Amino acid sequence: MTTGDSTPARRYGIGARTPRREDARHLAGRGSFVSDVKLSGLREVAFVRSVVAHGRITAVSVPDDAEPGSVWTAADLAQLAEPLTATSTLAGFRAAPLPNLAADKVRYVGEPIAVAIAGTRAEAEDLAARITVDITPLPAVVGFSDALAHNAPKVHNDWPDNIFATTSGDVGDVDAAAREAAVSVTREYTMNRQAVVPLEGRGVIAHYDRSADRLSVWSSTQTPHMIREMIAILLGIEARRVRVIAPDMGGAFGSKCSLYPEEVALAAIAMKLDHPIRWVEDRWEGMVASTQARDHHYLVTAHAAADGTLLGVEADILVNGGAYSVYPWTATMDATMAAAMIPGPYRVRNYRFRTRSVAANKAPSGPYRGVGRPGACFAIERTIDELAHELGLEPYEMRLKNMVRPDEMPYTSVAGKVYDSGDYPEAVRQAAVLIGHDTWRKRQRGVPTDSRHRIGIGYGSCTEQTAHGCVEWATRGLAITIGTEGARLEMDATGGFTLSVGIKSHGQGSETTLAQVVSEVFDVEPEHVTVIHGDTALTPRSEGTFASRSMVMAGGASYGAARQLAQKVKRIASVLLDEPVEDLRLRDHAVVGRAGSLGYRELAKEFLFTPDHVPGIEGGLEATYYYRPAVETGAFSYATHAAVVDVDLDTGGVTLLDYAVVEDCGTVVNPLIVEGQIVGGVAQGIGSALLEELVYGDDGQPKSSSFLDYLLPGTTEIPELKIGHLRTASPNTVFGMKGTGESGAIMPPAAIGNAVTDALREFGAQANETPMTPQRVWTALRDAQDAMAPIAETVS
Amino acid sequence: MNEVTVHLTVQHQPRTMIIPARTTLADLLRDHLGLTGTHLGCEQGVCGACTVLLDDLPVRACLTLAAACEGAEVITVEGLEGPDAERLRACFAEQGALQCGFCTPGMLLAGYYLVRGRQPLSREEVCQAMSGNICRCTGYNAIVRAIEAAISQGIEAETAPAQTVPRSSGAPAAGTEE
Repeated sequence: MTTGDSTPARRYGIGARTPRREDARHLAGRGSFVSDVKLSGLREVAFVRSVVAHGRITAVSVPDDAEPGSVWTAADLAQLAEPLTATSTLAGFRAAPLPNLAADKVRYVGEPIAVAIAGTRAEAEDLAARITVDITPLPAVVGFSDALAHNAPKVHNDWPDNIFATTSGDVGDVDAAAREAAVSVTREYTMNRQAVVPLEGRGVIAHYDRSADRLSVWSSTQTPHMIREMIAILLGIEARRVRVIAPDMGGAFGSKCSLYPEEVALAAIAMKLDHPIRWVEDRWEGMVASTQARDHHYLVTAHAAADGTLLGVEADILVNGGAYSVYPWTATMDATMAAAMIPGPYRVRNYRFRTRSVAANKAPSGPYRGVGRPGACFAIERTIDELAHELGLEPYEMRLKNMVRPDEMPYTSVAGKVYDSGDYPEAVRQAAVLIGHDTWRKRQRGVPTDSRHRIGIGYGSCTEQTAHGCVEWATRGLAITIGTEGARLEMDATGGFTLSVGIKSHGQGSETTLAQVVSEVFDVEPEHVTVIHGDTALTPRSEGTFASRSMVMAGGASYGAARQLAQKVKRIASVLLDEPVEDLRLRDHAVVGRAGSLGYRELAKEFLFTPDHVPGIEGGLEATYYYRPAVETGAFSYATHAAVVDVDLDTGGVTLLDYAVVEDCGTVVNPLIVEGQIVGGVAQGIGSALLEELVYGDDGQPKSSSFLDYLLPGTTEIPELKIGHLRTASPNTVFGMKGTGESGAIMPPAAIGNAVTDALREFGAQANETPMTPQRVWTALRDAQDAMAPIAETVS
Repeated sequence: MNEVTVHLTVQHQPRTMIIPARTTLADLLRDHLGLTGTHLGCEQGVCGACTVLLDDLPVRACLTLAAACEGAEVITVEGLEGPDAERLRACFAEQGALQCGFCTPGMLLAGYYLVRGRQPLSREEVCQAMSGNICRCTGYNAIVRAIEAAISQGIEAETAPAQTVPRSSGAPAAGTEE
C-alpha cells in the first residue's frame, strides 16, 4: 500500500514506473551468475579453512598423491601475492595485514589455509578433506569483555591491546546540559552480530590467458574496478593486464564490496596455471568467512528539559570488528558512522562521544546495508523514547519537538553532517496517521490486565547520508577517498544507445534506472538503451556500488555524458538541418527544429557512415563524463518507521501487527524500484530486530552457521507494509535524487524495540538488545518483574 | 566413484544419465545438462532457490539424489511453460517481485504450483505456502501480491474460458500505472 506518491504518471524517463529491463532473463532462468559461467578446461576450487578460532599452525600436510598444481598453501602463495593491508589515517590506527592464506596463526573459524583444485567441486572437496592442518589452540577473544580485559589474549601479538582505533569528540558543553536538564537517562544497548546473507554466495573464477597476457577474474563483486586495481598491486603487475568481470549477482548488501583473500589467491594461482579455476562459496563458508556485520554496544546518556527539549547526548560506542581490517574500509567504518549518526535528525547542540573498534577472533566485519546506522539509530531512538516516558510525553511528540525543521535546512548537525533538505517532522506526523496511532492507543488501553498479550506502538526516525564525496570519507580515516563515478554514452550507427558505467548493479535494477536517465535526456524509451556494467574492460573507472551512491553518482555521470552527447547530436543536426543549435530540441527519437527534424537513426548513419556530409564536426559519437558531487557532504534521505507489535507475555514472542514507513529520497527515478528497495530493506531490518544472530561460543566457534539455526525473515514474518512518500529534491544532486538503498534497513530495530518496550511499560521491561528473540523478551520481562516484586518473593 | 544410470524426463525430453552415485538432482541439472536456471542458495534444503517440479510436485533439487529420480518427470524454470507460467511471470514483473533474480526460479516453481491449483487462497495462506522460499531482496510483499494476482487470474481464466490469456514477454507494457 502506498500513499502520497505525487510523481505524475510518465511513460518513461525520470519518475516513470518503468518495468525492469533485468526481469525477462531472470524470469526465464537465463541469468548468468559466477557459478553458471561455462569456460573450457575450467577446474574447481575448495578451500581448507580453520576450524579453530585462534591458534598456531604447526603443520599443513599435503597428500603425497596430490597432482602437481592441485594444492596450494601459504608457503606456495607467499612468492606470488602480498597480503592485503587496509590502512587508515585515524590517529593511532593499528593495521592488521590480512593473509591470503594463513601462515603461522589462524584468527577466526573459516580463515582460509589451503587451496585444493580438481575437476569438479565434489572432487575438490574430497582433496581438501585429505589435507591435514595441525593447529595448537590459543585462548579466543570473542566478546567485548574478553577483548578489553587486562591481560586479554591478543588477536595480533604486536599490538598492546585489542583495539584497532579509538576516536572521540566533544562538541558544545554536555556537562552544562546535564546540570540544566530536568531529566537524564542512561541506557545500554546491544546490537548483536549478523551475517549479511546475499542468497547467492561469493564466487570467483580466475584465468590467465597467455596469448593475450591477460588475467581475467570473474567475481561476484560490487566493486570490480577497485578489486582489479588491488589484485594488480598485490600481484605486483600492471593493472592493464587484469580484467575483472562481475556477471549477474544474487544480492550483496555490502558483503561483496571488500577485496577478499579468495579473490587474490585464485588470481595469483591462475597466473601459474594453463586453465581457469573457480571457487563457489558454500553456505557454511558464507556464514563464517564472508564479512559479518553489526556487533555494537552503546552506553548512552541523554539530557532533556522539562518541556522535552533535548539538551545533550553522551555515547560510548564499541564495535567488534573481527580479526582483521578488510580493504578498503578497515574495521572502523561502523564506529565512525555510528558516532556521526547518534545525534540523529535532532537539533541537539551538545554531544560527547568515544568509539572503540575492537579486534576479536571472529570473521572480519565489513559493510552491511546501513553501516553503523542501524545500531546508532536503535540506541538514540530507544533513548528518545525513554526520555519521553520519563517526561510523560508521547514519543512521537518528543520527536516532533526536537527534529530539525525544514526552515533550518541546510542544517549542520552537532556531528558536523550537513543535512541538505526535507521535512523531518512531517515524516513523523504522516507515519502516525498511516499507522493509525490513536486507534492503536485505544486498543492498547482496552487490553484487559489479565490478558497474556500486550500491544505496543513504536517509532524510529533516522537520516541517512548518501552519495557523499571525498571529504566525508577522509574524515572517517579512509585511505582512499571515494567520490568519483564515470559513465560513457555512445550512439551507434542505428541510433541506439550504449551506456557503460563502472558501478555494478547487483539486484537494484540499475540497468533500468540508468537507462531512464538517458531516456529522459534523449526522449527515447529505455529499451533503446543498453546499460553495460560490471566489466572493467568495457566501462570507465569507478569505485563501485555501495553507500547508497550508485543512482546519484553513476546517474549523475550518465546524465553528464548524455548532456554532452546531446549537445554534439544537436550540433550535427544543426549542420544537416541548417538550423541554429539553440532552436533544436530532442523529441521522440529525433532532433526537432523549427523547420525540419532528423531521426537519431538517420543522423547517426549520416554522421558515422559519411562524416564528410557533416563538415566542421569532430569525429566520434560518444561522450564520457566523470561525476564528482559539487557539494561533498552528501544528500540525506530520511524516514520515520512506525511499528505496532503484539507481545506474548508467556513466550516472549513478538508479532508485527502493523508497520508503516514514511520516507523521502528526493526525486524518485522509478517508484517500482524505490518501493522494492524500501520493502526489502525493512525486511532485513526486521531480521535484525527479531531473528538474525551469529552466535559464537566462548571458544570462538560459530554456532549459527546454517539457515537452520540462523533465522532469516520469510513470507510469514513480513507484514504488508504501508508506505508514504515525501518528495524533497536535494539541492546537491542531479534531478534532486537522494540514495535510498540502505534506508529501509536502518529503522526497524528502533521502531520495533520501542514498540516492544511500549507494550511492556507496565512491567518495566525494556527491549535493549537485538535480536529481540522470545527468550530475550521473556527474560527481560521476568527480570523486570523480579526487580519490582517484594524481596521475599523474588526467585534467587 | 560408483556410477549409476538414471532414466528420467527433463522438460518432457527423455534422458539417460550416467552419473556419480552421489550426484544431486541439482548438480545433474546444472552440471550435466547445463540447466543453470536452478540455483543453489544453501544446499541445506532451506532456502528453496533450487525448487523444481518432480512429478508435478515442488521439491528441493539440492537435497534430492539424482539416483532417486528413476522414471521421474522434472520441470525446471527453463521448461516452465503455458498460460499459468506466463501470467505468473507477468505478475512478478508488474509487482516488482524480483530484484537480483537468484531466488526467482524457486519462487516461480513454488508459486506455479499454487496458481495451477485453482484454489482461492487468502494472503495468509499464500504466505504459509511460500514460507519455504527465502528472498533476501524484495521483502516478500511484491512476491505475495504477484502470486495472489496470478492465482486470481488463473481462476478467472478458467471460469471465463472464452477469454484468451494475452501473450506476455514477462514484462508489462511501458507506462502501465497501478
